[in-house]
Amino acid sequence: MRKKSLSLLSVSLVMTLALSACGGNNANNTANNAGKATNEGSGNTAPTTAKATKVEFWTFQQLHAEFYTEMVKRWNAANPDKTIELVANVSPYDDVHNKLLVALQSGSGAPDFADIEISKFPNYIKGEPQLLPLNDIIDPELDNLVKARFDIYAKEGNYYGIDYHVGASVIYYNKEILDKAGVNADDIKTWDDFAKAGKVVLDKTGIPMTTLETSEQWSMWLQTAQLPSKDDLLKADGTPNLDGPEVTQVMKWQQEQMKSGVAVGAPGGFHHAEEYFGFMGKGGAASVWMPLWYMGRFTDSMPDLKGKMVIRPMPAWSAGEPRSAGMGGTATVITNQTKSEDIVKQFLSFAKLSKEGSLATWTILGFDPLRSDVWNDPAMKATNKFTEYFGSNIFDVLTEVKDEIEGINIGEKTPQVIDAIKTQSNVRILLDNEDTEKVLKDVNSGLK
Amino acid sequence: MKTAEETKWSLNRVLLLLLFTALAIFALFPIITLAIASFKPAQELLRNGLNLSLDKELLTLSNYTNLFSPKENYVTWYKNSVLITFTFTVLCLLLSSMVGYALAVYKFRFRNFLFVLVLIIMAVPLEIIMLPMYKLAISFHLINNMWGVILPFVVAPLPIFFFRQYAGGLPRDFLDAARVDGCTEYGIFFKIMMPLMAPAFSSMAILQALASWNNFLWPLIVLNSTNKLTIPIGLSTLLTPYGNNYKILIAGSVFAIIPVLIVFVFFQKYFIEGMTAGGVKG
Amino acid sequence: MSKPNVTRVKQTSGSTSISSLLYSQKIAPYVFVLPFIISFSVFFAYPVVSAFIMSFQEIVPGSSKFIGFDNYKELWNPTFFKAIKNSTVYTALTLLLLIPIPLVLAAFLNSKVMIFKNFFRSTLFIPALTSVVVAGTIFRLAFGELDGSLMNTFITALGLEKQRWLGDRWLGLMTLLILACWRWMGINMLYFMAGLQNISKEVYESAEIDGANTWKKFTNITVPLLKPITIYVFTISIYGGYAMFTESYMLWSGNRSPKDIGLTMVGYLYRSGWEQNNLGLGAAVGIVLLAITFIITFVQLNLFGLFKKEE
Repeated sequence: MRKKSLSLLSVSLVMTLALSACGGNNANNTANNAGKATNEGSGNTAPTTAKATKVEFWTFQQLHAEFYTEMVKRWNAANPDKTIELVANVSPYDDVHNKLLVALQSGSGAPDFADIEISKFPNYIKGEPQLLPLNDIIDPELDNLVKARFDIYAKEGNYYGIDYHVGASVIYYNKEILDKAGVNADDIKTWDDFAKAGKVVLDKTGIPMTTLETSEQWSMWLQTAQLPSKDDLLKADGTPNLDGPEVTQVMKWQQEQMKSGVAVGAPGGFHHAEEYFGFMGKGGAASVWMPLWYMGRFTDSMPDLKGKMVIRPMPAWSAGEPRSAGMGGTATVITNQTKSEDIVKQFLSFAKLSKEGSLATWTILGFDPLRSDVWNDPAMKATNKFTEYFGSNIFDVLTEVKDEIEGINIGEKTPQVIDAIKTQSNVRILLDNEDTEKVLKDVNSGLK
Repeated sequence: MKTAEETKWSLNRVLLLLLFTALAIFALFPIITLAIASFKPAQELLRNGLNLSLDKELLTLSNYTNLFSPKENYVTWYKNSVLITFTFTVLCLLLSSMVGYALAVYKFRFRNFLFVLVLIIMAVPLEIIMLPMYKLAISFHLINNMWGVILPFVVAPLPIFFFRQYAGGLPRDFLDAARVDGCTEYGIFFKIMMPLMAPAFSSMAILQALASWNNFLWPLIVLNSTNKLTIPIGLSTLLTPYGNNYKILIAGSVFAIIPVLIVFVFFQKYFIEGMTAGGVKG
Repeated sequence: MSKPNVTRVKQTSGSTSISSLLYSQKIAPYVFVLPFIISFSVFFAYPVVSAFIMSFQEIVPGSSKFIGFDNYKELWNPTFFKAIKNSTVYTALTLLLLIPIPLVLAAFLNSKVMIFKNFFRSTLFIPALTSVVVAGTIFRLAFGELDGSLMNTFITALGLEKQRWLGDRWLGLMTLLILACWRWMGINMLYFMAGLQNISKEVYESAEIDGANTWKKFTNITVPLLKPITIYVFTISIYGGYAMFTESYMLWSGNRSPKDIGLTMVGYLYRSGWEQNNLGLGAAVGIVLLAITFIITFVQLNLFGLFKKEE
């Protein structure tokens, strides 16, 4: 008995040593391993060029790493004299943000460039931003870009981040359910129309018209941001605005829809919950409004709805008012710890701001490009998994609302406001049916 | 006499079996649903949630073949985890048992003070000291390096405390007898006390290996490169606010249970042997 | 008995050289605890002191400054009180569940009438092998609010109404507790099992001769002799309870339980320090948490007389 266990131990010892021998000698082995070990990101893109600049990139999104890997390939092909070797590291969402914060705070350990998600972004421009201003590459292109998407990453006239997309919000209707109820999506012009159509759908099919997020901010933020007013969750001056007229109007409307049954709380609390995907995928509700990047959630997590969903501009609050808002997003930033400022800037400009880069954000990532001058480009009509799922009119809807895409206010208080929405105001108003104005006053006063 | 006892207790035996079977079901149920889910397309999880249905047409090994495809880093993460866990556990048990033993057996100045320090360390969640710890790791060049994961926590308060409690319960006459025989203090520890503490070692081996295998927060801070990550961190890179990669996540977590299970089964046997060895002392 | 031996050791080894000093009974304990002292001062004392200093600062990149007790004053708010309350209730309930039950179960498993001991011991331990990330995901799906979720199918089959498990304060707490029991029951049982191996059979046998029944043996022998292990489990459970965060985070897929029903102290630390990048405030939360656990430890040490129990 004992002998047996001893031999087992020695076997496991030997095995571990063998494993360590494979994993240990990194210097020599990474090159061999790179193919299987890392995403192609560790950049065997130009192994022959001796003077490739090594650049490190952090993100929480594998797709973004793949995007830059592809763009590095193209860059190296076009610029053989200043090639780049990209090391792309993907870490979990919360942690990559924390780690970056700590690295910037402590002055060492940060990568050359990194992704920061919009709701975390304000944390990084507190005090003296430890990021490089990108005005020298953004300003020359600004006329072709959706400027509102750069203002959200700006402080005192300096642009610190470049997004992947516009994030224009749209509404996704389940046409099968609307047809059953005899409702035509194109007749829904305002939120009043939407509520009325919702009643019809509910009466005829028993299915709620939509779901509202009770532990996330998107569904109420979009409706607030599309209002022509300059204020949304924050006032234009950066102070919390939860008790302002905009949020109050939206939340009152949402509460009414909950009471009448036209809307239900999103199962799981938000539109990215597994439960919601299951519920919606089985035809649990007739519509949802989210930014355009939400298409990927449909194709990946709700495959059963393929061919049943249509994309339309969001209803307006009153006829003629804006029907969209640019929402969500992830900025790529360059840290002040980079040792290759020039080349990283040039590359970033190529990858995100150039026409080629903008087209690639659609073809590789399925995002609505930051350059509105490419929206009519024939390349945008080419079929891909999104056109197969939603039909080929995706960019027609976008060009239709092109001039109505409202910006949002982002400031140092944004993370706190969003926390309050996630944990307090939405639950109390939508699920507990408390008095809207009182709740919003309460919550807003807690934000100081 | 034995048979008499057995018949006398038979009702109790049945009741105990029922109780433990119920507990076993409670313990295994979530894991079984997870294991079943790992053989179904990831879409099924979103469509129908966790369930026990085994639809033959849906069953697939594709999640597992995906796991080991060269496109994924799972195998690399696995190797990293095995190496880190093994090194950590061996060092941790050695160092912590020394400290715990000294705290239990010797009377020396600062003994109680040191013990209070041990308790205090246990009370401090890593989140509090994350920022200074990260700065330290940078200045010691521990970033993106397996020693960075291991060193800061290798003298762990929890096993120190456990070994102190355990050693404190052992008979002391051994020590004096050994000293009379001319054994050095270190000889006493390595030749006499360590074998006596075998049950404590085996249970701590299980627990420390487990803790290291599932350790999350600190490795996350220290490790950057995708090919240096450990399994829990690698797997959680698949959870993003923009959609989760269930294909790899579920199969990956089921497969990750296996090595710790082996460690457990292996040491558990030893645990029983240690028990009978302990009986010899009487 | 022991004293003469001590002097004898000194005589035999004390006279030769410096290396024998290293071997002396006076120095040996310090050699044993040296790794701890090193690791404590480098990897603990320094970070904690800096965290303490940070708690009096407003930390902004490029322009951090001392702001006195402002961070602590800011903690005087209902959300933080809620976090303290949640953590305390959770800790207390885990103590109530996760000490007596595993102790009794360990005694059962150790008893002569029990069969398949190995099987049950392994089975009950298996949940501990899964990482919190995965366990949290499983429980989130199982305790979903839809009709078809595992728990709702279960209770509707029993004729009860379906529930929004993670939407209600007590049901949410219950879910957290079930998760805790599921993961830790086997581990705590293992601790008690290890302790039980130390109790010699003769003690029980002589008690049997004296006519003690099973209950008497349990209360008069098992429980008192397991005291050191119990203290250990008790202590780590308190710290574990107050440090709980990942479970809640995974269960609500973020720090976002409705009306903060799942917000813990570390969750609040995480929210203020990291999610809102107010590291000074986060550090202050940490120091308060530290103070609470110190007080509890202090009370507990006095209560159990952990220092006096020698000889």
